[in-house]
Amino acid sequence: MIHNTKCECGHQNYVGTVLCESCGKPLGEDMHSQEPLEMRYDGVARRSQKSNPNWIDRIWNFFSSVKIAVYLIIITLIGSIFGTILPQENTFISGNPADYYGPNHGWFGEVYYQLGFSRTYESWWFITLLVMIGTSLVICSLDRVLPLYRALKKQQIRKHLSFITRQKVVYTRELDVPGETFAREMEGQLKRRRFRVHRDGDALLAEKNRFSRWGPYINHIGLIIFLLAVLARSIPGWYMDEYVTIPEGETVPIENTNYYLKNEQFTVEYYTDDEMPAEMAGQLRAKLYQTKAVLYECTANCHDLVEEPVLEEVKRHDIIVNSPLTYQGLHAYQFDFDDTPKLAAVEPSLINKETGENYGSFDLRMINPDLHYEVGPYELELRSQYMEFAIGEDGNPTSLSRDPNAPAFFFIIKGPGLAEEGETYLYFPRQVDKQRFSQDQINSHISDRLELSVGSMEGVTFAGATTFLNIRVDTAMPYVWVGAGISMLGLIMGFYWNHRRIWLRVDNGKLSLGAHTNKNWYGMRGDVASALKKVGIEVDPKSLDNGGKN
Amino acid sequence: MRNSRKKIQIVVLLGVLLIGGYAIGKTLFADDNPIPRAGDRAPDFSLLGADGEVHHLSDYKGKALVINFWGTFCPPCVKEMPEFQKQHEKWEDSEFEILAINLSETDLVVSSFLRQFDLEYPILRDQKRATERMYGLRSYPTTFFVKPDGKIMEVFVGGMTEEQINERVERLLQT
Repeated sequence: MIHNTKCECGHQNYVGTVLCESCGKPLGEDMHSQEPLEMRYDGVARRSQKSNPNWIDRIWNFFSSVKIAVYLIIITLIGSIFGTILPQENTFISGNPADYYGPNHGWFGEVYYQLGFSRTYESWWFITLLVMIGTSLVICSLDRVLPLYRALKKQQIRKHLSFITRQKVVYTRELDVPGETFAREMEGQLKRRRFRVHRDGDALLAEKNRFSRWGPYINHIGLIIFLLAVLARSIPGWYMDEYVTIPEGETVPIENTNYYLKNEQFTVEYYTDDEMPAEMAGQLRAKLYQTKAVLYECTANCHDLVEEPVLEEVKRHDIIVNSPLTYQGLHAYQFDFDDTPKLAAVEPSLINKETGENYGSFDLRMINPDLHYEVGPYELELRSQYMEFAIGEDGNPTSLSRDPNAPAFFFIIKGPGLAEEGETYLYFPRQVDKQRFSQDQINSHISDRLELSVGSMEGVTFAGATTFLNIRVDTAMPYVWVGAGISMLGLIMGFYWNHRRIWLRVDNGKLSLGAHTNKNWYGMRGDVASALKKVGIEVDPKSLDNGGKN
Repeated sequence: MRNSRKKIQIVVLLGVLLIGGYAIGKTLFADDNPIPRAGDRAPDFSLLGADGEVHHLSDYKGKALVINFWGTFCPPCVKEMPEFQKQHEKWEDSEFEILAINLSETDLVVSSFLRQFDLEYPILRDQKRATERMYGLRSYPTTFFVKPDGKIMEVFVGGMTEEQINERVERLLQT
């Protein structure tokens, strides 16, 4: 079937045109109806609509459909719901996700994990939906904005009579002044109401706020930039969300970067009862979490296991909540801390139990202690260390873990009055362990003569608090903001302004006036009525309503 | 007009194919540090040995490997050590090696432990639990049997008897 797409005014329209692009005469099925016109996209054809589409056109047409776009959005919304049922894997800081879902949520958790819903937003199908929405956004917009732009750019002033009288705001009457005079007066009045007026003798087109029509498309451009920025996070190096654990005084490497981070000091302060309302007295309310952090860049020996890395300080910052250390796109946020006291070092004295003489003291670190000590006339050699001392099944000393929870040190002591090859001595720095494992009994051969002990709390050093920092890099963020900003601009343009147009023509002394807007018909009728009133025609704005859906 | 429309269509669809394909492909072939299992390639590491040398996993390319994670604080690990020594002696002439990775313990703990045993196979020292984490260890000991092509044949969690070790090493050497 061949469509005749030529209008009676002589204009050749594209397939799918509803209103002649030139004179506005209704085409196709709508031709003989008297109902108000469908003015969407000014009746122009969608760009892609062709009479004989090939496979590229078919793909294009699929994405060009707003109906498809709506379905895609609905499917994506439903899909997103699955990601909100159980915690997502990317929210786990440590541990194996496989150990979480089954044991904590039973068979449902297991199925959830196996189906991949524990990674909903990174799943292939979710990303595919987002890509399809993005494609639909681009194609829908292109297909509509270009023809609409063309149609609004070169509007004919004198429209077809049926185009004018089938608008939703219509006014007709016989005039007692010449048409051109009337049109000129209306031109003046409409200009005062900030319309842009184009007049062709006794025909007139007045238009205002056309830019608001571009709002949706600018919004779409913003959304596309937003989507692309989010996808750009998968570019290597653009996105990182890691956690580091730094005991006070230590420097640790940040994985996958050249940076090292040092925790010089961690402080936690709580509100005193005086600072809090009476009903909260006695509760622990944090006032300050602070990590004095130093960021280093490694310049040499970075991944060398033998040599110490060469570090260069690049940034120093006191990290508090909402005040991260920031350096070239890398942010370190305060996340958590652990201030359980841990023994770091002790300074025991060697004492002669018989005379009470103190031979002196030495510094004994829990982690990597020195192996030789000289105290007075005695020589101590550290032979073994147990982090969490216990007696094993075979009766030999052993350790239950690698953390200094119950440290014990095994010394060989040589010196005056002791055996030539030295005597053994097992030392427990913690008083509680000393009693539990009966230090004196183990060392019974020597314990009535010599003793290692810490005189006071001054001889004990505790490790500072451990801080947990969240390291983030998000290079895409500025683009996300730009996209969001453009999108907002588009929304404001589309929501706060509306595109109003008035057409009028006089045929043999009979005025025909039609008006169209994309929203706020009340204001549109008000504009028409007040302009008419100024030229001497009293008309009730309500009576201008020509029916149809608003 | 018609021509430029076609061009725009092709450019837009190609762009979608490229960007969308990249994004979707990335999710399909995502390699987000999975825990190595049988059939996977054993993750590479470089560790300082108790001998003071740096050992890379790649140094042992082409050899059948037993990678054993152990700690002095883990009695079944300690019990296994002499068994591994026997295996080491037994297969000395084969393309076979045992790498025993200590679980990030301190120098003295490891050195005083090693003094009590006469172990000839390489003892490697993990630092800050990095290799342990890379291999997704959950309990100790854990032993990885790695075929000469670098793929893991089996992951064994828990202590093993000499027989259990021997049977697996034989299978490993047959591949």
